[in-house]
Amino acid sequence: MFNKLRIGKKGENIIFGTFVLLYIGWCVNSPDMNIESLKSVLTIGLSVGIIYGLVALGISLIYTGLDVVNFSHGEFFMIGAFAGLTMFNLLGNQDWIFNIFPDAYGWIIYVVCLFTAFVSMGLFGVFIERVFLRPLTKKGGGYTVAGMGIIICGFGLSVVLINVAYLIWNPVAKPFPAELGLPMEIGGLFLPITYIWMIVVGLSVAAGLWFFLNKTKMGLGIRAVAYSKDVSNLVGINVPLYISIIFGIACAIAGIGGTLVGPTYQVVVFMGYIILMKAFAAAVVGGFGNLPGAIVGGFTVGIFETASSFYISGSHKDLYAFLLMIVVLMIKPTGFFGVQVKMKA
Amino acid sequence: MLKIDQLISGYGSVQILNGANMKVEKQSIVALLGGNGTGKSTILRAASGLIRSWKGTIEFNGEQIQNLPAHEIVERGLVQVTQGKDVFPAMSVTENLKLGGFILKSKQQLSDNLEKVYNYFPRLNERKDQLAATLSGGELQMLCIGRGLMSNPKMIMLDEPSAALAPQIVLDIFKNINRIRQDGLTVLVVEQNVRMALLLADYGYVIKDGVINVEGDSKKLMYDESVKESYLGGTKANV
Repeated sequence: MFNKLRIGKKGENIIFGTFVLLYIGWCVNSPDMNIESLKSVLTIGLSVGIIYGLVALGISLIYTGLDVVNFSHGEFFMIGAFAGLTMFNLLGNQDWIFNIFPDAYGWIIYVVCLFTAFVSMGLFGVFIERVFLRPLTKKGGGYTVAGMGIIICGFGLSVVLINVAYLIWNPVAKPFPAELGLPMEIGGLFLPITYIWMIVVGLSVAAGLWFFLNKTKMGLGIRAVAYSKDVSNLVGINVPLYISIIFGIACAIAGIGGTLVGPTYQVVVFMGYIILMKAFAAAVVGGFGNLPGAIVGGFTVGIFETASSFYISGSHKDLYAFLLMIVVLMIKPTGFFGVQVKMKA
Repeated sequence: MLKIDQLISGYGSVQILNGANMKVEKQSIVALLGGNGTGKSTILRAASGLIRSWKGTIEFNGEQIQNLPAHEIVERGLVQVTQGKDVFPAMSVTENLKLGGFILKSKQQLSDNLEKVYNYFPRLNERKDQLAATLSGGELQMLCIGRGLMSNPKMIMLDEPSAALAPQIVLDIFKNINRIRQDGLTVLVVEQNVRMALLLADYGYVIKDGVINVEGDSKKLMYDESVKESYLGGTKANV
């Protein structure tokens, strides 16, 4: 019966386009609308959006590779931010770095922090996958079957990781005073340099992942495992190892996201939860399981959220991402780039 | 080459194989026949390590392989070729083939094997940059066999290479399987297309309810009345 009610791809696009036009009209009508505010909305939206995009990228990667939705992904983001901050505090009072690079002091330390977050979260993700998720798949016969147990385990892990972080770093929000230089002027707009870092590093990570997946042998193996574990086994790919690698990469990217956000806002134990939810919205908007879609979805959610809180009402900032997700699910359930759900035998 | 002894296995808690015995000699083509749900594919899946063997042994080249992970079995030279639908549809033909040679260490070897496969199946060479999703059924089956050959196997196991294909294409593929055998490989074919399989093979096994029921020389099996009637679906009227 519902098959007959479906409106088809063209109809979906028309209805969705109407919504977009209505929304733009609403924003243009706002008294705050001018070219200056539009510029800052776009830059802030893009820089926030790339963070959502990075976390959504990890969620999508784990979804395609392991066939489960990882609900503890926000916590890897949060712990990644703390890992970067810890490295920053270690290096911050080392005079010898300052003596060697007096000019580039700030950003060299920051790059080291990003790298620390990337590597440590990658290893931590592999550890979590091996110790907590892998045993659940033994009885169920692989990830595809044991899905529900792992999803519940993801919720549990999220609570445990938050509380472990609470024990280690206590709940006080901590500043991340990376010295990256003065605000930069772009098109008459003074932007904190951390926004530029977010966009540049975020896009480079996404491009690096694309290159890794499409141009290297290991990437070929990962795409094969994501499509079919049985066939990958039969061509001689070590599937359990590759599943760990997929999980590790997804967590490492989330860790980078955390360290990127740190200098702009603050580092706090509870920052992972809301990011997870918004990244989830971004993944749905872009098309769940589609990697370029995750980045585009992140940008869309970021810009929509920022524009709405600027032009409509700033006091309901966290509402808009989910509003967008609901509208997309109602009108265009596959998201922007999603395809119909593939059959899994 | 491959020796299966008293193999018991299944999925979850459902036991499918109840002590199957098989032997595949070097450089021969052996057919494994049987109706739906008799355990043909289960034997292959157990041999290639996709499911665990509960009891019994699988010996390949004198080495017990029943407890090895699947990728190590491929490294020892035993490769299962799946049915044509099990390719990676979003990758090009060349990429699919390169994936088959995933365990190869050197690039030189990879391109040599690629040449070899294109030599067996010139059709794949014509289509090498196309996405696998755009291939026809026969081409997909060729791609699957080619992918199996990429890793320099000693023995390949084919899972219903004739499924859902036109007779002309089946003939073509079976000719190539014979050529592969002449080049020194051992072949195990699981088939429902009994006549074709027995024409191709040297030796045949018929499986029923998870045990080998009848075995023998393929010429003999072809005229074995009990085989025809009981397991192969043919009635006297249409044979």
